Amino acid sequence: MTATNLLENWASVRHFHPIDDKPHDPYKWAMAIDLDACTGCNACAVACYAENNLPVVGREKFLHGQSMHWMRIERYWEEDGREFPDQGFQFLPMMCQQCEAAPCETVCPVGATNHTQDGLNSQIYNRCIGSRYCSANCPFKVRYFNWYDYPTTENVWPAEMNRQLNPDVTVRGKGVMEKCTFCVQRLRAAEVTAKGEGRIVREGEVQTACQQACPASAISFGNLVDPESRVHKQWLTQQVDLDKDKQDKDQKEGGSDLRGYRILEELRPYPSVMYLERVRESAV
Amino acid sequence: MYRFLRLPILLVGLFMAVSCYAVNDSQPTLTTEDDLGPQVAQPIEFPHYRHAGNRNTVDPTNSDPTKGGMEINCQYCHTYARRSLTAGIPPLQKCIGCHQNIPSVRDKPRIVELFKYWDAKKAVPWKKVHDLPDFVRFTHERHIKRFIEQQGRPVQEVCGYCHGQVKEMVTARRQKPITMGWCVSCHMKEHVVAAKADIPEGGTPIGKQAYWYTFQKPAETKNAAGELTAKGPNDCWLCHK
Repeated sequence: MTATNLLENWASVRHFHPIDDKPHDPYKWAMAIDLDACTGCNACAVACYAENNLPVVGREKFLHGQSMHWMRIERYWEEDGREFPDQGFQFLPMMCQQCEAAPCETVCPVGATNHTQDGLNSQIYNRCIGSRYCSANCPFKVRYFNWYDYPTTENVWPAEMNRQLNPDVTVRGKGVMEKCTFCVQRLRAAEVTAKGEGRIVREGEVQTACQQACPASAISFGNLVDPESRVHKQWLTQQVDLDKDKQDKDQKEGGSDLRGYRILEELRPYPSVMYLERVRESAV
Repeated sequence: MYRFLRLPILLVGLFMAVSCYAVNDSQPTLTTEDDLGPQVAQPIEFPHYRHAGNRNTVDPTNSDPTKGGMEINCQYCHTYARRSLTAGIPPLQKCIGCHQNIPSVRDKPRIVELFKYWDAKKAVPWKKVHDLPDFVRFTHERHIKRFIEQQGRPVQEVCGYCHGQVKEMVTARRQKPITMGWCVSCHMKEHVVAAKADIPEGGTPIGKQAYWYTFQKPAETKNAAGELTAKGPNDCWLCHK
């Protein structure tokens, strides 16, 4: 990216969500999470730790807010007047939303996080200098910073245990930012196989670790532009449009019965993750 | 006031303006002598030129008549290249599989050494010559598919793009820099897309899977011969992991 290129195309730099001359073709990876099916069991978070070489930081650092869970289960208490053991709550698995106009991308001073053509928000560890600006600008707070050198000084994976590390994912050192990648190592492996056979990745050929581990099949993941994919059908059924900051269905009088929504849509980051949840009386 | 600053500011401004344009045109430097990797000492001095080198009858420039090569396909031994990320080192069985049927060289010191490992039932501890950093994902498979299987270019030529003239070496030595800038210098070139004639839909499909170096979708490009060309991927997350 040169300065001339940047100046000529300044308007396009800010918004990289698809418009006519920049369609997502042939891939746009997206997710749909059914919160009515989610039981908050944390299997997705555990699977993510195993797949992506995440360090377990321990109680003390966790209380300092330095945990590295790319996938976390947020818990929301229901204000229904009941006391703790009877009080209801809801779960929400929160991970990087892979925004189309990601706030983190525009502020990185070194261009370590940028958008890929298949709609992912990439994070290049060896380019990152650890300014933590992206984390400050992320409305979902899903970026995690390596405050310590977990593999060496913290000795998170002592001898023998380091053999559980996934060789397809970098083991991050001190001072870099990291976040959910939509298991990009699996996507790339599937894309290479598919391209060698002259086709695109089929529905069901690639799964993220969290999706694979979910016992309730609450998470579906796939290619949003593939009309055969489950994610495409879900987004279509729920009338959630990737390019809109206000969905048409919500503009109708009386609202909509459909369950699909995206978190902080009105901030216009155009997230790639749709959540499905029935609005309950107790939560209103 | 500060009049003495005018010229330096002007010069700096000029330099920056010029470099903005220069960046567009510049190409990374080509391979130089300095890019030679270290000579890695291997447990057995494996003669690549003898296995993969040109045969004497075909290649009269080879001065020593007894030292012609066997022109063995690189992928015969480095068999994982076409189906995985790594090219791989063959197991000892593969060496022995041929060499137990070649009695004429059986008493040569290197072969004697080879059979020592075989008799001791130990793998040969070959050293790695082309070692990429851990944050890089390079796939041999994709490059082999693109250039050898879809375009039918000669195997040794394609492997040589990155590995140099291994067929003239004894033990392999890194000849190219294998740095990011060097990788990108090739990815930014316009490569012919068309496949070999007998593959109906080979080659890298442009349009549907074109790689964009600007913010706009690129128009189809053609070279002087009128063939469709395309650049290689430039997405950070294709090579970095």
